[in-house]
Formats: sequence, structure tokens, C-alpha cells
Amino acid sequence: MSEKHLYLSLIPQALIASMLKPKDFGSYYAVGSWVHVQGEAIFFEVDPSFRSDEFPFHLVEERCVRQPNGAPKRSVYLAIYRVLSRIPVSALGNLYLVTKDGRTLELRREDYTPATEETLHLYQEFCPITPMVASLLEPHGFCQFITNPSHPINVPRIVFSQLRLGDLATDPEHGSVADLPYSNMEHIRDVLIELKYNRTKSSKLVLKQVKEGVLYRMLQGGFYVGDQTDFAFYRFPALDELENTHRDWWRSAQISSYNL
Amino acid sequence: MNEPIFWIAPIAALAALGFAALFFWAMAREDQGTEAMRTIGDYVRKGAMAYLWQQYKVMLLVFLVLAALFAVLAYPLGAQNPWLPFTFIGGGFFSALAGYFGMQTATRASTRTAAAARSSLSKALRIAFRSGAVMGLVVVGLGLGNVVAWFLVADWLIPQTNMEDGVRMVLITTTILTFGVGASLQAMFARVGGGIFTKAADVGADLVGKVETGIPEDDLRNPAVIADNVGDNVGDVAGMGADLFESYCGSILAACALGAAAYVLEPSVQLKAVVAPIAIAGVGILLSIIGIFLVKANENAGQEELLRALARGINMSALMISIATLPVLFVLGLPNFWGLWGAVVVGVVTGIVVGRSTEYATSASYAPTRTIAAQAEGGPATTIIAGLGIGMLSTGIPVLAIVIGTLLAFAFASGFDATAINLGLYGIAIAAVGMLSTLGITLASDAYGPIADNAGGNVEMSALGPEVRARTDALDSLGNTTAATGKGFAIGSAALTALALIASYIEVVRIELVNSGQLLLALGHGISVNTAQASLTDFMTFYNVTLLNPLVLVGVLIGSMTAFVFSGLTMQAVGRTAIQMVEEVRRQFRDNPGILQNTAQPDYERCVAISTKGAQREMILPALLAVLTPIVAGLVLGVGGVIGLLIGGLATGFVMAVFLSNAGGAWDNAKKYIESGQHGGKNSRAHRAAVVGDTVGDPCKDTSGPSLNILIKLMSIVAIIMAGVTVSYSLF
Repeated sequence: MSEKHLYLSLIPQALIASMLKPKDFGSYYAVGSWVHVQGEAIFFEVDPSFRSDEFPFHLVEERCVRQPNGAPKRSVYLAIYRVLSRIPVSALGNLYLVTKDGRTLELRREDYTPATEETLHLYQEFCPITPMVASLLEPHGFCQFITNPSHPINVPRIVFSQLRLGDLATDPEHGSVADLPYSNMEHIRDVLIELKYNRTKSSKLVLKQVKEGVLYRMLQGGFYVGDQTDFAFYRFPALDELENTHRDWWRSAQISSYNL
Repeated sequence: MNEPIFWIAPIAALAALGFAALFFWAMAREDQGTEAMRTIGDYVRKGAMAYLWQQYKVMLLVFLVLAALFAVLAYPLGAQNPWLPFTFIGGGFFSALAGYFGMQTATRASTRTAAAARSSLSKALRIAFRSGAVMGLVVVGLGLGNVVAWFLVADWLIPQTNMEDGVRMVLITTTILTFGVGASLQAMFARVGGGIFTKAADVGADLVGKVETGIPEDDLRNPAVIADNVGDNVGDVAGMGADLFESYCGSILAACALGAAAYVLEPSVQLKAVVAPIAIAGVGILLSIIGIFLVKANENAGQEELLRALARGINMSALMISIATLPVLFVLGLPNFWGLWGAVVVGVVTGIVVGRSTEYATSASYAPTRTIAAQAEGGPATTIIAGLGIGMLSTGIPVLAIVIGTLLAFAFASGFDATAINLGLYGIAIAAVGMLSTLGITLASDAYGPIADNAGGNVEMSALGPEVRARTDALDSLGNTTAATGKGFAIGSAALTALALIASYIEVVRIELVNSGQLLLALGHGISVNTAQASLTDFMTFYNVTLLNPLVLVGVLIGSMTAFVFSGLTMQAVGRTAIQMVEEVRRQFRDNPGILQNTAQPDYERCVAISTKGAQREMILPALLAVLTPIVAGLVLGVGGVIGLLIGGLATGFVMAVFLSNAGGAWDNAKKYIESGQHGGKNSRAHRAAVVGDTVGDPCKDTSGPSLNILIKLMSIVAIIMAGVTVSYSLF
């Protein structure tokens, strides 16, 4: 295995070369080498053999080398702007979710099977923009829709997750919102009613920017990355699996700034 | 001793200590688990012991200074009971000893409970509960043992001389009543200091660990995590134990004094009245031990069954005590033994009602806490308003229970004769003894809480499997319920004990007046009565204890204000110590990055030391307030003013303690209810608001609320021991 890794960070968007393995990189990226910073992160491991004229890959050879004291080079930034759109889905490896205190969960690519029943959906986008969007479309359909260049509002490639809507997914008018943590629930209800009954649009903006970070507790299915030609699905573990197999990560992920 | 039934008490006290030793050794033989579990357990035990030794050093200094002061007042000046310097030190020493044994047991038991939870829920419950029982049994064993010992010594040493038989017994009982002051002052150290320690550690660990750094609760990387675990023991084992040790001894001693006073003219009955509360307490201990053996659960027990197992032990003990005290009173041959038995039953039932009402007000299974959770959807302001409202409303049932219990106990014991005040007050004191007769097992269920909590923390920090965590979670959840019920019980028993102590105050005043040579009370209109035989009504007339007397009225207002000022001081103390803890945890994270990377170990001891020193420093002012207020009131306002002060302090302090404890408990559980997935679950807006409510409620329920128990009892007992000074040097 190569000693040098490539990582595509989504929060914030960047392509980074590093000599750290994914979990070590996640810890370093979240809390820094002196643990004086903090912040959750999401990143893909990129195929280390991936090369493109779009990025200064020569810096990998020049700067991503061991330091004089033998310590591995932690990060060499190759780009920080419009990165996702310049890396094909096929070059993306595993997805890593990093909590504020640097605990990392690895998600592998799995086959995607679209749900057959027609329900409403809520999506949290991570890259290149970060809104919350309600939609009639299942994840693959939504990806196709949002990356369609013929639409006035589109992005070349997108990373997003689906969030649980509870009863609102089937009954936006009367469904209970008791267990839903989203702000401005009545607005979400209005948007869903609009989508379900008027059907003038297939998707509608709910929130311009999600500031709460990743709403892990509400994830449904997992993470999706795709464009017009490629689509990849990373399954998020079920609650039992999180509790039993990834306990430390899950406990850490449950913590937030207002969680005393 | 001419009453053979008296010997039930020393036998029961010895049995309690014997079973406590048995349970301790059985626990000590259990497996301590893995190396990691043992290491974590050692940290907590060393931290707890470091706190205790620091507290005992300060205590020793304070006790020696005060004992010397009492000796000066007693011997050269003759303004104090000559026994006081010795009973004072004895009370403090044995209360501290009970706390020491309790802490030694609890901190060892949590590791073994965690280890047992790896294979069996039933075994883990048995270890945790019987270890909690060590605290319960040591408190009642040492408490009743001391009462018995001091009574026998006083009976032996106080000479008959030219005193009438009845007066001598009043002198004996009021002399041993001074034992309570040492226990009370030690309780102040343990309860207030413990409350400040535990909340400063908790807030410090949470603010920097969870909020700033984003690491979970019970994470070994947090330097304050051990202090937080130590705090659970310091507050709920040593603090609660000392609080109830004082209530237990205080209620028995007050009942003895009031019994002696009620039958001062009938020496043949008087001894029986003095022996009755001691014998009832003895029977309570023996039946509590049986109750402890009834607490067991099946291997696959759910939450409901665990609760039933615990309730079975407590309720069966209460039922057996209610039945068994009847033949005890019958054999003693007290007149109106049916009425006194009624008072015992009233006390037992009142204790259960107060405990249950606390559970209703604070458990997420009931409407009050769910109302706060629903209001959290409106934000922090509505959450605070809802919590304040629920806390205030929650005072209704316990206060009415104590009111009805007091009236019924008075009525039963006095034979429904409102003019038989002495007998009625004796009945109230007997009701307090009845309520506290189940203490052996109720305190076991209180001390079980921190053991289960620490066991859960140990399992979490040792990264054991999910099935083990599920078991300790079930035990911990049960502990939260018992802790809430225990707090209600502690407050209710403190109120009833304080009431009995206030009634005893007049008996001490009587003795001090006789000692000072005032043998007649001039009641006006040319009427005088013999001081030694004057009724309580005569004393009230002599000191003009009416609400129209400005001295009494001023005393009531000052007493009421003292409860508020005391709460404010303890609340601010938590904030100041917590800030120091926050700075220390930040410093460790900043100076040693390896801590968060799991490559370096935090300095846990430093955080324990900060909480310890903060607790000692910050409790000086509240302690001075509690001790000096009744002394100054006595010197300035006289006996009437002191009675007003104690009544004002009791009325406000009791209601406020219920309010603060229940509001804090309800806020805490409303947050947990939301975290279970209701109203948006964790990280929702409602959750944020509930977190604010919980943070506000923390010092209310764990520091100020429980500390008020001590205030109302300490003021009463200080007034009692300073009665001689009040009588001799008062301005009015």
C-alpha cells in the first residue's frame, strides 16, 4: 500500500495529500496536531493513483515527504476550490465521517436499490453547497435532477444524505413532528404539502444553509455521491450496529455544543 | 435499666453493624474485573478519600476550636451544659465515621458491580444494593448505638441529689440532645461541601469536555471525569448519610426529651416514654435488615421488575415496622399506646407519601416532567418558567402530607385533646421516629444510586460490551428513581425532626432557667408557676410568644430570609468553584495535547483537589450563617425571637427545599425524556432549551435544595445548645 494518500474533504472542500492513514488523518483534520482546534469533517479517500491536469500533483512528490525528525507529513493542500466537480466518482474510495473530537467512522461503497413506494424525501447536501431540500424524488432521481445541466439550478456533482421525515413522509398534513429535530417545522410541513398536493415542482428548498453540522441521528439510508453518469451509495450503519460495533464513534457523534 | 424492652435497641444497633460488616466483606470478596476497571475504580476511591481527609482536617480544626469555646462557656461561665464539649465531638466523630465507612464501601462496590454486570444483572443488583445497605446500616447502627450509650452514661453519671425524679430525666434527655449538634455541624460540612464538590466537578467536566471539546460523558480523556464520579459519592453517600444520621439521631433524641417533659409529673411512665422511641428505632433496624434480604431480581428483569424488587424491600419493612411497634408499645405499658402507635404509623405513611410525591414530580413517567419537556419546544424561557411552576406546585403534596401527618400524630398522641400540648408534641416526635425507622433500608436505596451510577461510568470508560452497558444502564436508571425518592424522604424527615427539635427547645430553656436560679415563671396578673413544672403554654405566656410580639415577628422574617440567603450563597459557591475547574480542564487540554489523542493521561488528582478545596472554602460562609443566626437572634431577640426564627426558617426552608429539589429533578428528567426521542430528541431545539433548564436545575437539586435540610436542623440544634446563653445574656 502506498505511503501517500489523497483525501477529498467536503467540510471544507479541499484535495489534500497526506502520509497519514485515513483514521489518523481524520483525527488530525478534526482537532489539529496540537488539539487546539475542533470541528467535524467528512472526506473521501481518493484513489492514490488518480492523476489529472486539474491539480498540481507534482506537489505530492515534492512536499508530501517525511519530516526531518521522521514524522509523516500530515497534509499538503492541492486545491481548495471546486474540487468535487473535478474528481470523478469512479476515483472515490471509502467515505470517512469524523466527529468533533477526531473519532473516525469508515463507510464502504454498497449497491444502491431505490425504494419502490412513493414517499416524500428530505435531503441534506454537503458539497458543493449546503442547503436542506425536500423532494418527491428518491436519492438517485434527486441526484440526476440536481446535476442536470439543462436545469437553471444545477451542480456538476453532488454529495448528500437523506434525512428521516417520520410520519411527514407519507402524511405531511397531519403527520406527527414529535421526534423531528429540524428548525422551523411548520415551514417544512408547508413545503412537503406543496410538493405532495400541487406537484408544480419535484424538489423545493427548505433551508438555505444547515448550520447544525451533520444530523447523524436523523440519517436514513446513508450518503450519496453522483452526477449525470455515476452514482455511489455509502450505507450508514443501523442504530444497533452503531451502538454495538462503533460505540465510541457514535457516542462522540451524539455530542454537540448544546449537549450538556 | 428497668425497662427490658430498651435492650432491643443496643441489640439492633449491634446487629446493624454486624450485618454491615458482613455485607462489606461479602462485597470485598467479589471480582474486581479487568485491569482497566480496577484502575478506574482506584482513581475514584483515592479521589474520594482525598476529599474526605481534607474535609476531616478542616472539621477537626473547627470542632476543636468550638469544643474549647463550649468548654469555656460551660465551666468558667456556667452558661452551657457541661456535657456539651464531649457530646459535640462524639456527634461529629460518629457521623464522620459513618460517612467514611459508606464511602469506602461505595467506591469499592462500583467496580465490583461493574464486574458482576459482565455476567449477571441479578448479581450486580445484589452487590450494589447490599453495598448501599452498608451505609444505611452503619448510619442507623452508629446513630442508635450512640443514643443508647449516651443515655446509659448520662443516667449513670447525672446524680440524683435533690432533684425530683421527673426533672432528672428531663435533664438527662436534654443533655444527650446536645449530641445532635456535632452530628448537625458535620452534616453541614458533608452536605454543603459535598453539594458544591459534586456540581463544580459536574459542570466543569461538562462545559469543557462536552461543549468545548466535544468528547462524550464518562470519557477518560476528560481530566474532570474522576472528580465527577467522586462527586456522586461525596454528595449522595457521605452527604446524604450525614444528613440522615443527624435526622435519625435528632428525631430519637427530641422524642426522648419531649417524652420526658410530657410525663414529668409521672416518673413511673416517664421512663417508658423515653424508652419508646429508642425501642421503636431498634425494631425498625431489625425489620429493615429483613427488608434488605427481600431485594432480589430475576436474571432477565426489566426496569419494572427492578423497581418492584426495591419497592418490595422498602414497603415490606415499612409494613412490618407498623405492625411490630404495636406490641412494643403495649409491652412498655404506656398509657394511650394505641394513640402513640397511630403516630408511628402516621410517620411511616407520611414518609412514603412524601417520597412518592417526589417521584411523581420528577419522574418522566408522569405529567409534571412531561409538561416541562413539552414547554421546551418554546425555548429556554418557557422551559425555565415551566420548571419553576412545576417546582412550586410540587410543594403541595409533601407539605400537606407533613401538615396532615403532624396534626394526626398530635391528635392521636394527645387523645384528641388540643390542650394536651406536651403529649401532642411527643406524638409528633414519635411520628418522626416512625418515619425514620425504615432508614436502614431507605438509605440503602439512596446509597445504591451512586454505586450504580459509578458502575455505569466504569463500564463506559472500560469500553465493555453493549450487553454489560445495558445491565448497568438498567441499574443506573433504577438508581435515579431511588435518588429522587430519597431526596424527598430526607427533606420530609428533616422537616418533622426540626419540628420536634423546636418543641424540645423549650425543654432546654426550662433546664437552663432552673440552672440559672429562676425557679418561678411570672405569668402576669400576679400568677406564678414553678419553672420545673410549667407547661409549654406557660412558657409561651412567659415569653409572650405570639405573632403580635414584634420580637417573634422579626424572628420569623429573619428565619425566612436566612433560607433564601443560604440558598443564594450555596448556589454562587458552585459557580465560583466550577469556573476554577473549567480553567484547569482547559489548561490540561492546552498544555498536553496527548490527552485528547489518548497518548497521555490527564492529571485527575488536580481536578479532585480543586473541587475539594473549593468545597471547603465555599462552605465557610453558609456554615457561619447557619450557626451565627440563631446565636445572634438569641442574644438580641431572646427566646421568643429564637422560636420565631426557627419557625420562619423551617416554614420557608422546608418548602423551598422541596421546590428547589423537585424543580431541579424535573428539569433533569425532562432533558432525559427529550433525549429518549420525544419532542425532536437529542440536538433538537427543544433539547437545547431542556439543557438550559437542566443546567439551572443542577445546583438547585444537588446543592442548595438538600443543604436546606441541614440549615433548618442546624439552626434548631444551635438554638438548643445556646439556650443557656440566650437565657442568661439576651437583651430582651
